[in-house]
Amino acid sequence: MALVLHSGSTNKNTFKVLVAAEYCGVNVELVKNFKMGVSNKTPEFLKMNPLGKVPVLETPDGPIFESNAISRYVARLNADNPIYGTSLIEYAHIEQWIDFATTEIDLNISRWFYPRAGYSPYIPQAEEAAISLLKRALGALNSHLATNTYLVGHGITLADIIMTCNLYLGFIRLMTKSFTSEFPHVERYFWSMVNQPNFSKVMGKVEQTPYVQPLQSQRNPQSKPKQLKKEIKKYLVKESS
Amino acid sequence: MALVLHAGTGNKNAFKALITAEYSGVNVELVKNFEMGVSNKTPEFLKMNPLGKVPVLETPDGPVFESNAIARYVARLKADNPLYGCSLIEYAHIEQWIDFATTEIDQGIARWFYPRTGYMPYLPPAEEAAIAALKRSLGALNTHLANNTYLVGHSITLADIIMTCNLYLGFVRVMTKSFTSEFPHVERYFWTMVNQPNVHKVVGEVKQAESVFPVQSQKKPAQPKEPAKPKEAKKEAKKEAPKEAAKPKAEAVAEDEEEAPKPKAKNPLDLLPPSKMILDEWKRLYSNTKTNFREVAIGGFWEMYDPEGYSLWFCDYKYNDENTVSFVTLNKVSGFLQRMDLARKYAFGKMLVIGSEPPYKVKGLWLFRGKEIPQFVLDECYDMELYEWTKVDITDEAQKERVNAMIEDQEPFEGQALLDAKCFK
Ligand SMILES: N[C@@H](CCC(=O)N[C@@H](CS)C(=O)NCC(=O)O)C(=O)O
Ligand SMILES: N[C@@H](CCC(=O)N[C@@H](CS)C(=O)NCC(=O)O)C(=O)O
Repeated sequence: MALVLHSGSTNKNTFKVLVAAEYCGVNVELVKNFKMGVSNKTPEFLKMNPLGKVPVLETPDGPIFESNAISRYVARLNADNPIYGTSLIEYAHIEQWIDFATTEIDLNISRWFYPRAGYSPYIPQAEEAAISLLKRALGALNSHLATNTYLVGHGITLADIIMTCNLYLGFIRLMTKSFTSEFPHVERYFWSMVNQPNFSKVMGKVEQTPYVQPLQSQRNPQSKPKQLKKEIKKYLVKESS
Repeated sequence: MALVLHAGTGNKNAFKALITAEYSGVNVELVKNFEMGVSNKTPEFLKMNPLGKVPVLETPDGPVFESNAIARYVARLKADNPLYGCSLIEYAHIEQWIDFATTEIDQGIARWFYPRTGYMPYLPPAEEAAIAALKRSLGALNTHLANNTYLVGHSITLADIIMTCNLYLGFVRVMTKSFTSEFPHVERYFWTMVNQPNVHKVVGEVKQAESVFPVQSQKKPAQPKEPAKPKEAKKEAKKEAPKEAAKPKAEAVAEDEEEAPKPKAKNPLDLLPPSKMILDEWKRLYSNTKTNFREVAIGGFWEMYDPEGYSLWFCDYKYNDENTVSFVTLNKVSGFLQRMDLARKYAFGKMLVIGSEPPYKVKGLWLFRGKEIPQFVLDECYDMELYEWTKVDITDEAQKERVNAMIEDQEPFEGQALLDAKCFK
């Protein structure tokens, strides 16, 4: 029986779960007809996650939220799964890098991205601070990856899955080639990860963004009829004559 | 043998491991003579954590960093530790609440507290957003705790330890009683937790903040190119800005010079008959006038103004009733100004965000080269159509005075306070 995952399809937090499921041979299916901002605000959904955020996984024993927790659960369904490590210290290192991917990498990418996307206040100084913290974190990651192919041990673990999904948002939205070239080992790592069959099956082809996500207007320009523009022009001509 | 934890005393991230150790009967000791900012920057430390942050735990199998990972490791040292739950779904719920405590609660508190300490830029709209996000998270936590004594199951787990440590920073620094009283189940939970003997032993007596931690002056001032500062900060900034304002100007000029030789298609505005008004001169006057703004800058403006070569326009946002969230409104205006970048050589603008409560009104004044709004601006900057544009009749004294008030950020403006005033120059 498939486990049902509540989420839209192309969200990096969802990717964590789906990629982990590929690696572990667990059957996870996206819920049908999910509508962001609608499906996740219903009373039934809020019973699964009082915060109303996605992703949420339905399991035979009840719902789980928080994408990292869901991925861990999926990884554990397959006993002795190597993506979860094989010793106490390996667990610890996997968890260390999962937390690093979350608190140092994802957080700063989010603080750079979401204001630009119009979800929170855009403040140049705050962005500058986020970028410099992100650079510091990427620098640390880069030194680790200078002598390690994967984050922990000699194969792909859950830490690599979560790190790659978090980096993914950065690579496709904000971090241009000129930005990432300062971190060559991170680049090498990211590209070798997203080209793994289990990743590309979920994520498709990944392309690095050629520019930083532009600041969005709250209003979608496409939603405006062309006609309006003409009216304004008419009006302007009248005014200035 | 004790495991050594690298961190200073009183660090809530170190508390996580220390409390877990108490519950698990594991021996963890803080390293001696730790000095923040020194001990964690040595090459030996960076070998343990390339980021140079604390806490780091030394284990017989090597170091572990990230406070949650350390706490988990300590919990696992005790076989079948009840802190960790006893079924797959319990692990999952414990981890879910650990992650919630980190990504939702700790983040909200950190974005509220740290800018106030002076280690990060303090920006009121960012704080407002952090507090709103934190309230949403605390609301969700409160709902959960309305029917649950602990986060998972019927006893304390690792999730409770991590949640409590994260809440701790909030309770002692920024969340006063009047703030937390909205979340009575969170309050009940927090006070129960910090009074558990194993928690109390590590954390000591906990006292809720009586006032929100005051804003400290910034330790390492960032030097943004174009600060989008709230209105209150504005006047002071004007006073302090003279030397700095001159610098970016010089750079801007240099850029223009560099661009000059490139064989670019001429902007039709460059083909207009020359004007006696030099836009850059006006922008310089605007930026550099610190005192007597009315006489010097505004007076100077009307002396320079050339109605043959330039035109003035009022703009009025058409959808003011949608401006219900301050930062969203401010973003809208910042985005507009960013997109106007293409007109930098031909325009000057002031945008006012008006009102002390939503819905906010957005109104502006623009000076354009030419007698009309340049066609390329209408074509390329889609924000233009979101505003009503009215040409200023400079023979009408009332309209002229409105221009002055907008250039000057006069407050109250048309009877209302200003939330912010932004300048395009
Ligand atoms: N820490 C959470 C973050 C979840 C999250 O922020 N989800 C976003 C979409 S990526 C969401 O559901 N937003 C809807 C909302 O804020 O109402 C996780 O990793 O699962
Ligand atoms: N996510 C990390 C955060 C660690 C952290 O930010 N530590 C601060 C002290 S609480 C630090 O070491 N700062 C020193 C620095 O930034 O150089 C964890 O939970 O361990």
